[in-house]
Amino acid sequence: MTASIAAAGPSRRLLGLIGASCIVILWEASARLLGADAQVLPAPTQAIAAAWRNLSAAELAQHIGWSLWRILAGFALGGLAGVTLGVASGWYAWLARLVRPLVEMLRPIPPLAWIPLAIVWFGLGEPSKIFVIFLGAFFPIFTNAWRGMVSVPPVLLAAARTMDVDGPALLFKVALPAALPDISTGLRVGFGLSFGILVAAELIAAERGMGYLVMQSRQLGQLGVAVFAILLIGIVTLVADSALAALLRRWVGRRMPA
Amino acid sequence: MSSTRYPWRDWAYPLIVIGAVLACWQAAVMAGWLRPISFPPPSKLAATFREIVTEGYPEGIGLATHVTITLQRIVLGYSAALALAIPLGLVIGWKPTLDALTDPVIAFGRSVATLSLLPLTVVWFGTGEGAKIFLIGYGCFWVMISNVIAAIKNVDPVLVKAARTMDVSGAALFRRVALPAALPRIFAGARVALGVGFMVIVGAEMIGTIRGLGALIMEARTFYRTDITMVGMAVIGAIGFAMAMGLQRLEAVLMPWQGREARRAT
Amino acid sequence: MGAIARSGAVPTISEGPASGKHSGRVGDTLVRIRIERVSKRFATDRPDAPPVLGDFSLAVRENEFVVLLGRSGCGKTTLLNIIAGLERASTGEVRVDDAVVTRPGEGKGVVFQQGALFPWLTAAGNVDFAARSRGVAASERAALCGELLDLVGLSGAQDKYPFELSGGMQQRVAIARALALDPHILLMDEPFGALDELTRIEMQNELLRVWAARRKTVVFVTHSIWEALMLADRILVMAPRPGRIVLDRHVALARPRSRTDSALLQLYESIWASLQ
Repeated sequence: MTASIAAAGPSRRLLGLIGASCIVILWEASARLLGADAQVLPAPTQAIAAAWRNLSAAELAQHIGWSLWRILAGFALGGLAGVTLGVASGWYAWLARLVRPLVEMLRPIPPLAWIPLAIVWFGLGEPSKIFVIFLGAFFPIFTNAWRGMVSVPPVLLAAARTMDVDGPALLFKVALPAALPDISTGLRVGFGLSFGILVAAELIAAERGMGYLVMQSRQLGQLGVAVFAILLIGIVTLVADSALAALLRRWVGRRMPA
Repeated sequence: MSSTRYPWRDWAYPLIVIGAVLACWQAAVMAGWLRPISFPPPSKLAATFREIVTEGYPEGIGLATHVTITLQRIVLGYSAALALAIPLGLVIGWKPTLDALTDPVIAFGRSVATLSLLPLTVVWFGTGEGAKIFLIGYGCFWVMISNVIAAIKNVDPVLVKAARTMDVSGAALFRRVALPAALPRIFAGARVALGVGFMVIVGAEMIGTIRGLGALIMEARTFYRTDITMVGMAVIGAIGFAMAMGLQRLEAVLMPWQGREARRAT
Repeated sequence: MGAIARSGAVPTISEGPASGKHSGRVGDTLVRIRIERVSKRFATDRPDAPPVLGDFSLAVRENEFVVLLGRSGCGKTTLLNIIAGLERASTGEVRVDDAVVTRPGEGKGVVFQQGALFPWLTAAGNVDFAARSRGVAASERAALCGELLDLVGLSGAQDKYPFELSGGMQQRVAIARALALDPHILLMDEPFGALDELTRIEMQNELLRVWAARRKTVVFVTHSIWEALMLADRILVMAPRPGRIVLDRHVALARPRSRTDSALLQLYESIWASLQ
């Protein structure tokens, strides 16, 4: 509708750039004007300067690395479990009857609410954080994979059967490809959630990582570094999500319309 | 997926499965395979539930109090976010120029992990309610505005064309056509935003406060009351579920024209 | 029966370039729609590719039922959109009642193929929407809506939402809604294309009945030869790229028409031949 009349590619990007720059300038100006109290809200330049002063590249890389490692580990596990269980439940009705009630019962519990329990079960180290991220990724991935499987148009399966394709071959050659768009959506949603969960977990109980960095720098009174870390998390999230989207588009999007 | 011949199966199977799991759990604890510290048996959980409702935890703060406080925070933050996000989102979604200008900013705002702001909110608002309500509002706002913008942008072009053939344009077009057409998607966004707000508050309450459901389950862990943590989690889950159901009911009442198929799709 | 079947080839009313003749009449009849040398090229077209519509001219008389017939992609829908004011011609102009078309509305009713009913309004609500847009007073609107819904045969379905109506019923509402505008012309873009064959035939008869009661100038787009033969006063067969008329025939047979009528069958053959 209005989207079709919307500015075409390059001018749209330009406007976006203008908008973003305005916000940054506004922030910079108001932070500087409202008393040079870099203790309340540092300006972006102050934040970057503070980070430059107080953080070495190695430290920064370490924090980012730990955060990414946790997300990847948790997401990989959650993705594997979610896709496998989701696809299997979509294919075998008896499995769905077993698994879905349990999943649906646990799903309303926000992943963050699992943190205390995770600490009880796994201690304060890495496994507890990876577990919570795993949970956060698992539920949307499972749900989307299951739904994708049960939404495969029956006519496709019928057509395949008329060509003597049945059993496992039917699952892997027909049902799974047909369910891929939904599975991809689940993966993206799960991945996006992982960052929010990771940050919370790191705020609560960690000695390294970007979330920890925010907490620590504030405790040290280095608000500039804290703001920098917050922005960093946002940027990393965006970059990672775009990367995943591009990856999925290449593997899945090619073959299917959306 | 429901069995049309024996509809009672839709109820029975889940109950049986859950019941079986609970029974195995209880048996495993009693047989000594699971440690009650890590896996309090369902029998203990029932008793614990009664305990926190009546006596409260910690220090005499009853479950009702925790629930009320958490809900209060959510309601305030959520309403504030929606009050801001809906009008802004409608305007931005309607004007392509505004949409182009704000798109990167909104995308970034959405990507900033809400809870990462927690340490800063302590500096700005102290340790009071303000910090938590702000966090909830922040999280809900970006999700809501993104959905409202998408809702307006994705109004079926055929409807707009039809309206234009009836001499309806400009503000009237927005009011009488775009807005009603976008309503279902706006509601879907409101549901998602509520879920986000809920997540945020549970996380926010785990740091530096003893009142609220997030605080409840965190405090309990510190004192090895895993049973309280589990009961608390169940309560949180139940409330989240109830809120989502509530919103769905509301949608069905406010938008009777949808029919069940369309509603399930959003 | 009583209808004298004549062979199809009646001289067509093709208009030359305007050359100062804006009287809006041809012979004794008012020209409702005048299309003058309209061409259309999409922004995405390659410059050397033939245009969607090329130097297209046409005059449609008052209360004439004109059918644009052709395959997908021959430009008939584009032409209809241009007449409706939903799209702009690249060159040339369209006049409705001697006023140049610049935007949609203003008495140009349109019935789309599907999905144009407002889902949040009932059948009556949809018709009322159009009446309200025209400026009909609230006190008269209810009566008007009832009357139109009766006319299209939906008196019992006033309070149903579109999702509760079948495809045929939805299109009846769409027609009633377009009529609520009391339009000068009625433009119909394959309105029965999404219906099954049987419903389609039923709707064609319904349309003729409604048209007999509320005569309007109609431009109707279709890809079905039989639909054209059943409905039209005048059939314009179009060929694609550039979109142009390759056959212009009057159908001077009384309605309702029979598929076994020899004149009609002859016309069918001519049309079929022109489409090859």
